[in-house]
Amino acid sequence: MSSCLALPRELTIYTVGELRPQWLDQLAADNADPVDPWPVDGAAVEDVDAAGLQLLQSLSNSLAREQRRLQLQRPSAALAAACSALGLPGLLAHPPAQARPATKAKRAAKVKPAARKTQETT
Amino acid sequence: MSTDDSDSSFIAAALPAFISEAQEQIEALEQLLLKLEDRPDDRELLDALFRCAHTVKGSAGIFGLDDVVAFTHHVETLLDQLREGKVTLSPALSTLLLQCNDQIRALVEAAQSPQDADPGAAQQRERLVAQLRAACPATAPAATADAAAPADAGMAMPIGAGRWQMSVRFGTETFRNGMDPLAILNYLRGLGTITSLVCDAAAVPALDRVDAETCHLGFDLSLDTDASREQIEAAFSFVREDCTLHLVPPGAAPQAAVPDTPVAAAQAAAVPSALTVAREPLPAAGPSTPAKPREGTAASPAADDTRYIRVQADRLDAVINMLGELVIASAGASLLARQTRQGSLIEANQQIGALVEEIRNGTLQLRMVPVGETFARFRRVVRDTASELGKDVVLDIVGGETELDKSVVERIADPLMHLVRNSLDHGLETSAQREAAGKPAQGRLTLSACHESGSILIRIVDDGRGIDRDKVLQRAWERGLVEPGTVPPDDDILRLIFEPGFSTAEKVTNLSGRGVGMDVVRRNIEALRGTVSLSSNPGQGSQVEIRLPLTLAIIDGFLVGVGPSKFIFPLDTVVEVIESRTTVTALDARGRSVVELRGRTLPVVDLRPLYALDSPPPERSSVVVIRYGHSSFGVLVDQLLGQHQTVIKPLSRMFRSLRGISGSSILGNGEVALIFDVNALGGLAASTTPAHARSLGVTQ
Repeated sequence: MSSCLALPRELTIYTVGELRPQWLDQLAADNADPVDPWPVDGAAVEDVDAAGLQLLQSLSNSLAREQRRLQLQRPSAALAAACSALGLPGLLAHPPAQARPATKAKRAAKVKPAARKTQETT
Repeated sequence: MSTDDSDSSFIAAALPAFISEAQEQIEALEQLLLKLEDRPDDRELLDALFRCAHTVKGSAGIFGLDDVVAFTHHVETLLDQLREGKVTLSPALSTLLLQCNDQIRALVEAAQSPQDADPGAAQQRERLVAQLRAACPATAPAATADAAAPADAGMAMPIGAGRWQMSVRFGTETFRNGMDPLAILNYLRGLGTITSLVCDAAAVPALDRVDAETCHLGFDLSLDTDASREQIEAAFSFVREDCTLHLVPPGAAPQAAVPDTPVAAAQAAAVPSALTVAREPLPAAGPSTPAKPREGTAASPAADDTRYIRVQADRLDAVINMLGELVIASAGASLLARQTRQGSLIEANQQIGALVEEIRNGTLQLRMVPVGETFARFRRVVRDTASELGKDVVLDIVGGETELDKSVVERIADPLMHLVRNSLDHGLETSAQREAAGKPAQGRLTLSACHESGSILIRIVDDGRGIDRDKVLQRAWERGLVEPGTVPPDDDILRLIFEPGFSTAEKVTNLSGRGVGMDVVRRNIEALRGTVSLSSNPGQGSQVEIRLPLTLAIIDGFLVGVGPSKFIFPLDTVVEVIESRTTVTALDARGRSVVELRGRTLPVVDLRPLYALDSPPPERSSVVVIRYGHSSFGVLVDQLLGQHQTVIKPLSRMFRSLRGISGSSILGNGEVALIFDVNALGGLAASTTPAHARSLGVTQ
């Protein structure tokens, strides 16, 4: 199954409640034929807050548990800015060549880029 | 720079608290690892293990203990793999983890005295790290790289004059309360420059377990700003109620470790136990309060479910000492009040007395800890020792919730260790031997504790081969402990084991049988006003009973007078008081006799001959019936002076050999009363053998 998860226009506390079951369904449907990296289309996002990003990170963590990665495609400006502003560049960045199952290791490796990015945004 | 000084002094003051916290975590790790052996798939155990390791690593990071951080990191990585189910727990792995835990413990202890670095330990650590890496192949190279990198980065990281290190954990209700951490971070950007920002992404649960409206976010960041602490804190004012905020001001020395291991430090901030580390040394830090890292009034009460205050033991001791003085003073006051015969004054004094008693009970309660924590340590001892000896032994713990004064608990750990090892080494047999003897292959060692008449009774029971009395006797003859050829009664033979210089081990092992054995155990226990006794059924096992007082400080006493001398019995041991009657037999040379009590004979002792008190006996006297262990005896006394709160003062060296007396106390009127050690006194009353005449020493 190759359908891409498309993020909605609004990725906020007001939508996360209904998004979660949808994403879970999609994950379950996809499990029959796992795709790695798992594409997520972020072009439509206009309104995003910390709760929305947390849900996205949660999705990423779910995938990481299966040793897969989330690949955010075409992130909108709002989404990209929010990711860096919230210290989650891992969602944005083109992931490192080798897939790392341990999320912790991945995070630690990105300390530096994070610092650079935030400096740029400020 | 003054902030520098106060921060390093803060760190120095907080270090002992960290170490004690870390030791608890390490202890917990060990228990969890041992539990995990029985239930290797228990997800909760695995999570708890990971959390413990993480907490240790995180708090160590705050204190700049790089060795601990680096090493624990490897352990944590393996635990993470275990948790994810990528590695399964084998006995070998379990042993490795236990060894690693020992290593962490050693590292934490080394943090107390950094100059004693042991190169051998470093090598051992490297070896363990190599084994750990081998155990988790998937991430091994990555993990090493990570561990190495931060240390270098930390050195290179310049610490700007205005760089604040912050660690913030938002409360779970943040989103529902309409707050957006994103907005708060953006507000911070208005104050200065965020030079590094890491979100603790791993703290966010996976999609199938996350509650989308619950906030799991936490950040570690460095903020370059000239804003004041108040201004920075103001950014969090709307979420202050349920957010955890750690601020380390610019220039605080060891906080270089914070950017090094952002996650670790952050986790530490999120864990309540780590919070107490920061909070605890406050009183000591005193005037330097403004410079201490301060957390946003520590989460909501609900989040902080373990609400403990750590208090330095010596402060508590000081309170208890003062309380002792108060008890004495209050006893003195009520004595004076009674002499005035003024009803209202007596009443007022009684009320004060009752209050003092309540305070006393409450304060002593503060020192009480369940003995189970000490017992639980023996799981590891039993596991390791048994496997070393090729024996299969299961440890049962009964009555671990029994409470005991902390200082007593600390001081019985060593004797208990010795007794447990003795049982494992000498008592319990190998599986083959057990089967040959018709017993279950697995040996059983039971540690139990219960309260019994004002003391605590600890039993160490094994179902091993028991004690060979002939062998004991043989050894005693050889060592000259008993006149060769004489055969004392069975109980006395067993008691010989506690004599100095006795050891029946056929070969000296590194576990027990070093000859410093049981007499040291006995001495340690007697130093706590306790007793130890041993019983054994050959072929079926042996049992060691340790009886200890509940507390070392204050007891309820029963005051009696013999002539002008005053004595105190611990009130819990007094069963009843009867009027003296003619003794059935005449007093013997040591003042011993028997009386009839409800159709049974009761041994009695007269204190006059026993302690050579030369006042003339009164016309009427009373017999205080005392229970010790399973038997009773009576003590002849002149006057009954009633219940008395007794502050125990130790006897001076000169009187220490006094049998039957465990301490002294100062009465309200300044008189000194001697406190009986009823077990020793009972021994004097009940003994028939000359062996005890020796110990009487006092009259000679």
